[in-house]
Amino acid sequence: MKYGVWLAGALLGGLLALAWFGGALNWNREAPYELVQSWGGPGTSDGRFNEPTGIAVGADEVFVSDARNRRIQVFDKQGRFLRAFNEGLERPMNLEWHDGRLYVADFFADQILVYQADGKLLHVIAPPDGLHNPGGVAVRPDGALLVADTYAHRVLLLGPDGKVLKAWGTPGETGSASGEFNYPADVTLAPDGGFYVADGYNDRVQQFDAQGNFVRKWGGPFGVNLHGPFKGWFATATSIAYGPNDKVFVADFYHDRVQKFCDHGGYITSFGAAAPDSATHTAIAVDVDSDGGVWVANYARHRVEQWRPSGAARGRS
Amino acid sequence: MRSLIAVLALALSTSAVAANLTYRLRVDGLACAYCAYRIEKAFMTTRGVEQVDIDFEQGNVLVDAARDVTFSEAELRRIVNDSGFTLRGVERLEGGAK
Repeated sequence: MKYGVWLAGALLGGLLALAWFGGALNWNREAPYELVQSWGGPGTSDGRFNEPTGIAVGADEVFVSDARNRRIQVFDKQGRFLRAFNEGLERPMNLEWHDGRLYVADFFADQILVYQADGKLLHVIAPPDGLHNPGGVAVRPDGALLVADTYAHRVLLLGPDGKVLKAWGTPGETGSASGEFNYPADVTLAPDGGFYVADGYNDRVQQFDAQGNFVRKWGGPFGVNLHGPFKGWFATATSIAYGPNDKVFVADFYHDRVQKFCDHGGYITSFGAAAPDSATHTAIAVDVDSDGGVWVANYARHRVEQWRPSGAARGRS
Repeated sequence: MRSLIAVLALALSTSAVAANLTYRLRVDGLACAYCAYRIEKAFMTTRGVEQVDIDFEQGNVLVDAARDVTFSEAELRRIVNDSGFTLRGVERLEGGAK
Protein backbone atom coordinates (compact mmCIF):
# COMPACT_ATOMS: atom_id res chain seq x y z
CA MET A 1 0.00 0.00 0.00
CA LYS A 2 2.74 2.39 1.00
CA TYR A 3 4.65 1.47 -2.15
CA GLY A 4 1.58 2.26 -4.27
CA VAL A 5 1.15 5.67 -2.68
CA TRP A 6 4.80 6.48 -3.29
CA LEU A 7 4.54 5.33 -6.90
CA ALA A 8 1.41 7.40 -7.51
CA GLY A 9 3.06 10.42 -5.91
CA ALA A 10 6.18 9.98 -8.01
CA LEU A 11 4.12 9.67 -11.18
CA LEU A 12 2.06 12.75 -10.33
CA GLY A 13 5.21 14.69 -9.46
CA GLY A 14 6.83 13.60 -12.70
CA LEU A 15 3.82 14.67 -14.72
CA LEU A 16 3.65 18.02 -12.95
CA ALA A 17 7.37 18.60 -13.50
CA LEU A 18 6.96 17.69 -17.15
CA ALA A 19 4.01 20.02 -17.49
CA TRP A 20 5.73 22.85 -15.64
CA PHE A 21 9.12 22.75 -17.30
CA GLY A 22 7.66 21.78 -20.66
CA GLY A 23 5.48 24.87 -20.69
CA ALA A 24 2.22 22.98 -20.45
CA LEU A 25 0.97 24.71 -17.30
CA ASN A 26 0.21 28.42 -17.44
CA TRP A 27 -2.09 30.97 -15.94
CA ASN A 28 -3.06 34.54 -16.76
CA ARG A 29 -0.56 36.99 -15.32
CA GLU A 30 -2.67 39.83 -16.69
CA ALA A 31 -6.37 40.16 -17.25
CA PRO A 32 -7.47 39.45 -20.83
CA TYR A 33 -7.66 42.52 -23.08
CA GLU A 34 -10.96 44.27 -23.86
CA LEU A 35 -12.45 44.77 -27.30
CA VAL A 36 -12.75 48.53 -27.70
CA GLN A 37 -13.90 48.86 -31.31
CA SER A 38 -14.49 46.89 -34.47
CA TRP A 39 -15.66 47.59 -37.99
CA GLY A 40 -16.32 45.83 -41.26
CA GLY A 41 -18.54 42.86 -41.93
CA PRO A 42 -18.81 40.77 -45.07
CA GLY A 43 -19.08 42.52 -48.42
CA THR A 44 -17.26 44.16 -51.26
CA SER A 45 -17.94 47.87 -50.71
CA ASP A 46 -15.53 50.26 -49.02
CA GLY A 47 -15.09 49.29 -45.40
CA ARG A 48 -16.40 45.75 -45.89
CA PHE A 49 -14.21 42.67 -46.20
CA ASN A 50 -14.16 39.27 -47.80
CA GLU A 51 -11.76 37.33 -45.56
CA PRO A 52 -9.28 39.78 -44.02
CA THR A 53 -5.95 37.97 -43.59
CA GLY A 54 -3.43 40.62 -42.61
CA ILE A 55 -3.18 43.84 -40.62
CA ALA A 56 -0.55 46.50 -40.03
CA VAL A 57 -0.77 49.68 -38.02
CA GLY A 58 1.18 52.89 -38.62
CA ALA A 59 1.23 56.17 -36.75
CA ASP A 60 -2.20 57.28 -38.03
CA GLU A 61 -3.51 54.52 -40.29
CA VAL A 62 -4.52 50.88 -40.26
CA PHE A 63 -3.83 48.71 -43.32
CA VAL A 64 -5.86 45.56 -43.92
CA SER A 65 -5.39 42.68 -46.37
CA ASP A 66 -8.87 42.17 -47.83
CA ALA A 67 -7.90 38.82 -49.31
CA ARG A 68 -10.77 37.70 -51.54
CA ASN A 69 -11.59 41.25 -52.55
CA ARG A 70 -7.99 41.41 -53.79
CA ARG A 71 -7.17 44.75 -52.24
CA ILE A 72 -5.57 46.57 -49.36
CA GLN A 73 -7.94 48.84 -47.46
CA VAL A 74 -6.69 51.76 -45.39
CA PHE A 75 -8.52 53.31 -42.44
CA ASP A 76 -7.87 55.88 -39.79
CA LYS A 77 -7.80 54.57 -36.25
CA GLN A 78 -11.46 55.36 -35.72
CA GLY A 79 -12.37 53.00 -38.55
CA ARG A 80 -13.10 55.60 -41.21
CA PHE A 81 -12.33 54.31 -44.69
CA LEU A 82 -9.60 56.33 -46.38
CA ARG A 83 -8.63 54.48 -49.56
CA ALA A 84 -7.98 51.12 -51.18
CA PHE A 85 -5.41 49.90 -53.68
CA ASN A 86 -4.51 46.71 -55.48
CA GLU A 87 -1.86 47.34 -58.12
CA GLY A 88 -0.16 44.00 -58.83
CA LEU A 89 -2.02 42.32 -55.98
CA GLU A 90 -3.55 38.83 -56.06
CA ARG A 91 -4.00 37.31 -52.59
CA PRO A 92 -2.55 39.48 -49.78
CA MET A 93 -1.73 37.87 -46.44
CA ASN A 94 0.24 39.22 -43.45
CA LEU A 95 1.41 42.83 -43.74
CA GLU A 96 4.36 44.81 -42.47
CA TRP A 97 4.48 48.59 -42.12
CA HIS A 98 8.06 49.80 -42.06
CA ASP A 99 9.58 53.23 -42.60
CA GLY A 100 6.65 54.61 -44.58
CA ARG A 101 6.30 51.53 -46.77
CA LEU A 102 3.77 48.71 -46.75
CA TYR A 103 5.18 45.23 -47.36
CA VAL A 104 2.67 42.62 -48.52
CA ALA A 105 3.19 38.86 -48.68
CA ASP A 106 1.21 37.75 -51.75
CA PHE A 107 0.21 34.10 -51.45
CA PHE A 108 -0.94 33.70 -55.05
CA ALA A 109 1.65 35.85 -56.85
CA ASP A 110 4.52 34.30 -54.87
CA GLN A 111 6.21 37.60 -54.21
CA ILE A 112 6.57 40.46 -51.76
CA LEU A 113 5.01 43.72 -52.89
CA VAL A 114 6.20 47.05 -51.54
CA TYR A 115 3.86 50.03 -51.65
CA GLN A 116 3.93 53.67 -50.72
CA ALA A 117 1.27 54.61 -48.21
CA ASP A 118 -0.91 56.00 -51.02
CA GLY A 119 -0.90 52.65 -52.83
CA LYS A 120 1.76 53.28 -55.44
CA LEU A 121 3.60 50.03 -56.12
CA LEU A 122 7.33 50.58 -55.64
CA HIS A 123 8.97 47.15 -55.77
CA VAL A 124 8.23 43.51 -56.37
CA ILE A 125 10.62 41.18 -54.58
CA ALA A 126 11.14 37.43 -54.99
CA PRO A 127 14.24 35.23 -54.86
CA PRO A 128 15.58 33.63 -58.07
CA ASP A 129 14.13 30.22 -57.18
CA GLY A 130 10.77 31.77 -56.35
CA LEU A 131 8.57 31.81 -53.27
CA HIS A 132 5.95 29.18 -52.48
CA ASN A 133 2.84 30.80 -51.07
CA PRO A 134 4.50 33.30 -48.72
CA GLY A 135 2.47 34.19 -45.65
CA GLY A 136 4.39 36.99 -43.97
CA VAL A 137 7.33 39.37 -44.04
CA ALA A 138 9.38 41.49 -41.66
CA VAL A 139 11.85 44.23 -42.59
CA ARG A 140 15.22 44.76 -40.95
CA PRO A 141 16.63 48.26 -40.46
CA ASP A 142 19.14 47.62 -43.28
CA GLY A 143 16.27 46.94 -45.71
CA ALA A 144 16.72 43.17 -45.86
CA LEU A 145 13.52 41.13 -45.66
CA LEU A 146 12.70 38.12 -43.54
CA VAL A 147 10.07 36.12 -45.40
CA ALA A 148 7.92 33.24 -44.13
CA ASP A 149 7.86 31.12 -47.28
CA THR A 150 4.96 29.09 -46.02
CA TYR A 151 4.64 26.15 -48.42
CA ALA A 152 8.41 25.80 -48.83
CA HIS A 153 8.67 25.34 -45.03
CA ARG A 154 11.48 27.84 -44.81
CA VAL A 155 12.32 31.36 -43.68
CA LEU A 156 14.44 33.45 -46.01
CA LEU A 157 16.55 36.54 -45.50
CA LEU A 158 16.37 38.43 -48.78
CA GLY A 159 18.27 41.48 -49.93
CA PRO A 160 16.16 44.31 -51.35
CA ASP A 161 16.92 42.88 -54.81
CA GLY A 162 15.60 39.43 -53.86
CA LYS A 163 19.01 37.81 -53.44
CA VAL A 164 18.92 35.07 -50.81
CA LEU A 165 21.29 36.08 -48.02
CA LYS A 166 20.39 33.31 -45.63
CA ALA A 167 17.79 30.55 -45.24
CA TRP A 168 16.38 28.52 -42.35
CA GLY A 169 14.52 25.24 -42.56
CA THR A 170 14.66 22.43 -45.09
CA PRO A 171 13.06 23.58 -48.36
CA GLY A 172 10.00 21.57 -49.21
CA GLU A 173 10.16 19.41 -46.08
CA THR A 174 8.29 19.83 -42.85
CA GLY A 175 10.06 19.24 -39.56
CA SER A 176 9.44 19.86 -35.88
CA ALA A 177 13.03 19.91 -34.60
CA SER A 178 14.54 23.24 -33.60
CA GLY A 179 15.08 25.40 -36.68
CA GLU A 180 12.73 23.34 -38.83
CA PHE A 181 9.31 24.54 -39.92
CA ASN A 182 5.85 23.27 -40.75
CA TYR A 183 4.08 25.93 -42.84
CA PRO A 184 5.62 29.03 -41.20
CA ALA A 185 3.10 31.83 -41.63
CA ASP A 186 4.72 35.01 -40.35
CA VAL A 187 7.89 36.64 -38.98
CA THR A 188 8.46 39.58 -36.66
CA LEU A 189 11.62 41.39 -35.77
CA ALA A 190 12.88 42.20 -32.28
CA PRO A 191 14.71 45.47 -31.56
CA ASP A 192 17.98 43.59 -31.00
CA GLY A 193 17.89 42.21 -34.56
CA GLY A 194 16.64 38.79 -33.53
CA PHE A 195 13.38 37.48 -34.93
CA TYR A 196 10.40 35.30 -34.11
CA VAL A 197 8.56 32.96 -36.45
CA ALA A 198 4.89 31.94 -36.21
CA ASP A 199 5.58 28.32 -37.10
CA GLY A 200 2.03 27.67 -38.34
CA TYR A 201 1.22 23.98 -38.30
CA ASN A 202 3.97 23.20 -35.80
CA ASP A 203 1.72 25.09 -33.37
CA ARG A 204 4.59 27.04 -31.90
CA VAL A 205 6.82 30.10 -32.01
CA GLN A 206 10.51 29.84 -32.80
CA GLN A 207 12.96 32.54 -31.71
CA PHE A 208 16.30 33.31 -33.40
CA ASP A 209 19.03 35.78 -32.41
CA ALA A 210 20.45 38.58 -34.55
CA GLN A 211 22.95 36.18 -36.11
CA GLY A 212 20.16 33.80 -37.04
CA ASN A 213 20.96 31.20 -34.40
CA PHE A 214 18.07 29.30 -32.90
CA VAL A 215 17.34 30.51 -29.35
CA ARG A 216 14.18 28.78 -28.17
CA LYS A 217 10.75 27.53 -29.15
CA TRP A 218 7.47 27.50 -27.30
CA GLY A 219 3.88 26.33 -27.69
CA GLY A 220 2.74 23.22 -25.82
CA PRO A 221 5.18 20.93 -23.99
CA PHE A 222 8.68 21.51 -25.37
CA GLY A 223 7.32 23.12 -28.55
CA VAL A 224 7.27 19.86 -30.47
CA ASN A 225 3.99 20.21 -32.36
CA LEU A 226 1.55 19.25 -29.63
CA HIS A 227 -1.54 21.40 -29.97
CA GLY A 228 -4.25 22.04 -27.45
CA PRO A 229 -6.53 24.69 -26.01
CA PHE A 230 -4.46 25.41 -22.92
CA LYS A 231 -2.83 28.73 -22.14
CA GLY A 232 0.43 29.05 -24.02
CA TRP A 233 -0.46 26.29 -26.47
CA PHE A 234 -1.47 26.89 -30.08
CA ALA A 235 -3.45 25.33 -32.87
CA THR A 236 -1.99 26.96 -35.98
CA ALA A 237 -0.02 30.13 -35.29
CA THR A 238 -0.84 32.39 -38.24
CA SER A 239 0.60 35.80 -37.32
CA ILE A 240 3.09 37.35 -34.91
CA ALA A 241 3.97 40.87 -33.80
CA TYR A 242 6.54 42.35 -31.43
CA GLY A 243 5.07 45.07 -29.25
CA PRO A 244 6.20 47.70 -26.75
CA ASN A 245 7.88 46.57 -23.54
CA ASP A 246 9.28 43.47 -25.25
CA LYS A 247 6.02 41.59 -25.59
CA VAL A 248 5.20 39.11 -28.34
CA PHE A 249 1.65 38.67 -29.63
CA VAL A 250 0.62 35.59 -31.58
CA ALA A 251 -2.59 34.86 -33.51
CA ASP A 252 -3.71 31.39 -32.41
CA PHE A 253 -6.17 30.82 -35.23
CA TYR A 254 -7.98 27.61 -34.36
CA HIS A 255 -8.41 28.81 -30.77
CA ASP A 256 -9.87 32.15 -31.91
CA ARG A 257 -7.52 34.18 -29.75
CA VAL A 258 -4.39 36.27 -29.55
CA GLN A 259 -1.86 35.17 -26.95
CA LYS A 260 0.59 37.55 -25.31
CA PHE A 261 4.05 36.46 -24.17
CA CYS A 262 7.19 38.04 -22.83
CA ASP A 263 10.07 38.00 -25.29
CA HIS A 264 11.42 34.70 -24.00
CA GLY A 265 8.09 32.92 -24.33
CA GLY A 266 6.61 33.31 -20.86
CA TYR A 267 2.83 33.27 -21.17
CA ILE A 268 1.07 36.48 -20.02
CA THR A 269 -2.54 36.51 -21.19
CA SER A 270 -4.86 35.82 -24.10
CA PHE A 271 -8.01 37.32 -25.57
CA GLY A 272 -10.46 36.87 -28.43
CA ALA A 273 -13.77 35.23 -29.15
CA ALA A 274 -14.96 32.47 -31.43
CA ALA A 275 -17.65 32.86 -34.07
CA PRO A 276 -19.99 29.99 -33.12
CA ASP A 277 -22.16 30.55 -36.18
CA SER A 278 -19.19 30.09 -38.51
CA ALA A 279 -17.35 26.95 -39.58
CA THR A 280 -14.07 28.80 -39.59
CA HIS A 281 -12.16 30.86 -37.02
CA THR A 282 -11.48 34.43 -36.01
CA ALA A 283 -8.01 35.73 -35.00
CA ILE A 284 -5.84 35.26 -38.08
CA ALA A 285 -3.58 38.32 -38.04
CA VAL A 286 -2.25 40.69 -35.39
CA ASP A 287 -0.26 43.89 -35.07
CA VAL A 288 0.58 46.06 -32.10
CA ASP A 289 0.36 49.82 -31.89
CA SER A 290 3.06 51.99 -30.31
CA ASP A 291 0.70 52.59 -27.36
CA GLY A 292 0.27 48.85 -26.75
CA GLY A 293 -3.17 48.56 -28.35
CA VAL A 294 -3.59 45.37 -30.34
CA TRP A 295 -5.16 45.24 -33.81
CA VAL A 296 -6.62 41.99 -35.06
CA ALA A 297 -7.93 40.81 -38.44
CA ASN A 298 -10.98 38.71 -37.65
CA TYR A 299 -11.28 36.19 -40.49
CA ALA A 300 -14.63 34.57 -39.70
CA ARG A 301 -16.42 37.83 -38.94
CA HIS A 302 -14.75 39.73 -41.80
CA ARG A 303 -13.82 42.64 -39.59
CA VAL A 304 -11.07 44.63 -37.91
CA GLU A 305 -10.82 44.72 -34.12
CA GLN A 306 -8.93 46.87 -31.67
CA TRP A 307 -8.16 45.45 -28.24
CA ARG A 308 -6.70 47.16 -25.20
CA PRO A 309 -5.49 46.04 -21.80
CA SER A 310 -8.42 45.89 -19.41
CA GLY A 311 -8.67 48.42 -16.62
CA ALA A 312 -7.15 45.99 -14.14
CA ALA A 313 -4.17 45.33 -16.39
CA ARG A 314 -3.57 48.87 -17.60
CA GLY A 315 -0.16 50.15 -16.64
CA ARG A 316 1.30 46.70 -16.22
CA SER A 317 1.57 45.64 -19.86
CA MET B 1 -46.72 31.83 -81.65
CA ARG B 2 -45.62 28.33 -82.57
CA SER B 3 -42.36 29.69 -84.01
CA LEU B 4 -41.74 31.75 -80.86
CA ILE B 5 -42.09 28.64 -78.73
CA ALA B 6 -39.72 26.80 -81.05
CA VAL B 7 -37.11 29.57 -80.77
CA LEU B 8 -37.41 29.62 -76.97
CA ALA B 9 -37.11 25.84 -76.79
CA LEU B 10 -33.99 25.95 -78.97
CA ALA B 11 -32.43 28.69 -76.84
CA LEU B 12 -33.11 26.76 -73.66
CA SER B 13 -31.74 23.51 -75.06
CA THR B 14 -28.62 25.29 -76.35
CA SER B 15 -27.91 26.85 -72.96
CA ALA B 16 -28.36 23.48 -71.33
CA VAL B 17 -25.83 21.87 -73.65
CA ALA B 18 -23.34 24.72 -73.28
CA ALA B 19 -23.71 25.08 -69.52
CA ASN B 20 -20.59 24.81 -67.42
CA LEU B 21 -20.02 21.98 -65.02
CA THR B 22 -19.40 22.49 -61.34
CA TYR B 23 -17.56 19.90 -59.31
CA ARG B 24 -18.26 19.71 -55.62
CA LEU B 25 -15.24 18.21 -53.86
CA ARG B 26 -15.35 17.06 -50.26
CA VAL B 27 -11.97 17.83 -48.72
CA ASP B 28 -10.87 17.41 -45.11
CA GLY B 29 -9.41 20.23 -43.03
CA LEU B 30 -10.77 23.28 -44.81
CA ALA B 31 -11.03 25.70 -41.91
CA CYS B 32 -7.95 27.82 -42.44
CA ALA B 33 -7.15 30.35 -45.13
CA TYR B 34 -3.66 28.93 -45.57
CA CYS B 35 -5.01 25.55 -46.69
CA ALA B 36 -8.11 26.77 -48.52
CA TYR B 37 -6.09 29.26 -50.55
CA ARG B 38 -3.57 26.60 -51.51
CA ILE B 39 -6.28 24.43 -53.03
CA GLU B 40 -7.92 27.42 -54.64
CA LYS B 41 -4.61 28.46 -56.18
CA ALA B 42 -3.95 24.94 -57.47
CA PHE B 43 -7.30 24.85 -59.28
CA MET B 44 -7.09 28.42 -60.53
CA THR B 45 -3.81 27.60 -62.25
CA THR B 46 -5.38 24.51 -63.87
CA ARG B 47 -6.37 24.95 -67.50
CA GLY B 48 -10.14 24.86 -67.93
CA VAL B 49 -11.06 26.10 -64.44
CA GLU B 50 -13.01 29.34 -64.34
CA GLN B 51 -13.80 29.83 -60.68
CA VAL B 52 -13.17 28.20 -57.32
CA ASP B 53 -15.20 28.72 -54.15
CA ILE B 54 -14.56 27.31 -50.71
CA ASP B 55 -17.54 26.30 -48.60
CA PHE B 56 -16.20 26.18 -45.06
CA GLU B 57 -19.55 25.19 -43.61
CA GLN B 58 -19.71 21.94 -45.56
CA GLY B 59 -15.98 21.41 -46.13
CA ASN B 60 -16.44 21.59 -49.89
CA VAL B 61 -14.40 23.02 -52.73
CA LEU B 62 -16.60 24.11 -55.64
CA VAL B 63 -14.80 24.12 -58.98
CA ASP B 64 -16.49 25.73 -61.98
CA ALA B 65 -15.12 24.31 -65.24
CA ALA B 66 -15.07 26.26 -68.44
CA ARG B 67 -17.56 25.42 -71.16
CA ASP B 68 -17.04 21.95 -72.65
CA VAL B 69 -14.31 21.13 -70.14
CA THR B 70 -14.58 18.06 -67.95
CA PHE B 71 -12.31 16.60 -65.31
CA SER B 72 -11.97 13.01 -64.24
CA GLU B 73 -12.03 12.10 -60.58
CA ALA B 74 -8.39 11.04 -60.89
CA GLU B 75 -7.41 14.50 -62.16
CA LEU B 76 -9.28 16.22 -59.36
CA ARG B 77 -7.80 13.86 -56.80
CA ARG B 78 -4.28 14.55 -58.05
CA ILE B 79 -4.73 18.33 -57.74
CA VAL B 80 -6.11 18.02 -54.21
CA ASN B 81 -3.38 15.58 -53.19
CA ASP B 82 -0.65 17.79 -54.66
CA SER B 83 -1.98 20.60 -52.48
CA GLY B 84 -1.44 18.42 -49.43
CA PHE B 85 -5.05 17.37 -48.78
CA THR B 86 -7.21 14.31 -49.15
CA LEU B 87 -10.19 14.13 -51.46
CA ARG B 88 -13.15 12.41 -49.79
CA GLY B 89 -15.63 12.54 -52.65
CA VAL B 90 -16.64 14.22 -55.88
CA GLU B 91 -20.06 15.28 -57.07
CA ARG B 92 -20.68 16.58 -60.59
CA LEU B 93 -23.32 19.28 -60.69
CA GLU B 94 -24.83 19.82 -64.12
CA GLY B 95 -25.53 23.34 -65.26
CA GLY B 96 -23.15 24.99 -62.81
CA ALA B 97 -25.65 24.70 -60.00
CA LYS B 98 -24.23 24.97 -56.54
